[in-house]
Amino acid sequence: MKWDDNTRFLVVFFVTLVVAFSVIAWNPVNDQVIVPFTKSITWVSGALLNLIGQDVTVTNTVIYSRHFAVDIKNGCNGVEAMLLVLSAIVAFPATMRSRMIGIIGGSLAVQTLNFVRIVSLFLLGRYYPKVFQLFHTGVWQILIILAGVGVFLFWSLRFAQPRRLETNP
Amino acid sequence: MPSHVDSRRILKGVVGFFVGLGVWIALSSSYNPLVAGAAEALLRLSENPSVTRLRPEESEIIVDRDDFPPRSARPGVPLQDLTFNVILLIALFASSRETFSTRNVVGFGLACGILYVTHVFGLIAAVKSIYAVKLGAWSEAAYGPISRNVWSGASHFYRLVGLYAFAFAIWWVLRPEGIRLARRASKRKGRKK
Repeated sequence: MKWDDNTRFLVVFFVTLVVAFSVIAWNPVNDQVIVPFTKSITWVSGALLNLIGQDVTVTNTVIYSRHFAVDIKNGCNGVEAMLLVLSAIVAFPATMRSRMIGIIGGSLAVQTLNFVRIVSLFLLGRYYPKVFQLFHTGVWQILIILAGVGVFLFWSLRFAQPRRLETNP
Repeated sequence: MPSHVDSRRILKGVVGFFVGLGVWIALSSSYNPLVAGAAEALLRLSENPSVTRLRPEESEIIVDRDDFPPRSARPGVPLQDLTFNVILLIALFASSRETFSTRNVVGFGLACGILYVTHVFGLIAAVKSIYAVKLGAWSEAAYGPISRNVWSGASHFYRLVGLYAFAFAIWWVLRPEGIRLARRASKRKGRKK
């Protein structure tokens, strides 16, 4: 990427991010797409917690047991990290096919890690409530985004169209 | 261009993450007044009469106005929720191939300055969002539908994606590889002229 490409990358990155975020923040999309998606994440996380013997119940976006409860809200469903990966991939010079590989692979990686986040936060909230807030904000949010950035960098080296690449990001 | 996963850089990123976490925890209480002071000055510049006061209190910034009824509760903004992207920035710069090279250190210093500006604007958006949508009838009387949507949208965007996007974008531009590219490109342009 040349400097001009860098500027173009930033402009396309932010425009894509703002547009994609506006779409998911629009109430009909939020209610018809994001909330059902979050419910499915909640359901899978609840199943994982039951698998390790936590005896939890899932209702809508809430996982609760006799000891602790978490409500999966926007910002905790991994969608925002997926948008960042999507925006970076769209902004990077690559073929449509490699972009699709990156977006699908990146989303799967982010969501897999997000299940680990939800399960671990539930366990921390139950057994170590004092550190719950620190892990909820400072640790896991950043780890999810770092994972997203890592996926993007890996993709840009391995799958993005090599003809246009002149450097190692 | 290497196409393999660079495990040393990943390790440096992990170390950077823990350093960043420590820095954020240790320095937040000293850093918050700096953000609040600049945001308050800018908010008061845009007001006539100037009424906003931002008071750092533990991990929150208490939003006060001279025209608030004296006994009413003051809203607060949890500033740490707006500034923890510094951990991301530190981890990204730490993952550089030459972490302590002059280029990387200078780039990181510049990045911190720019990130501070984004924190100030993040806090301004949060305060304006409180004014625009969270103060009931007063909000409706003082802010029109467009400005209500703009301020609440800006605050929402910053909190959910903007703070990560800014840290990533600042690193992307100021990382040593980016600066090297800029110099190469400007040399190329100079030669063409």
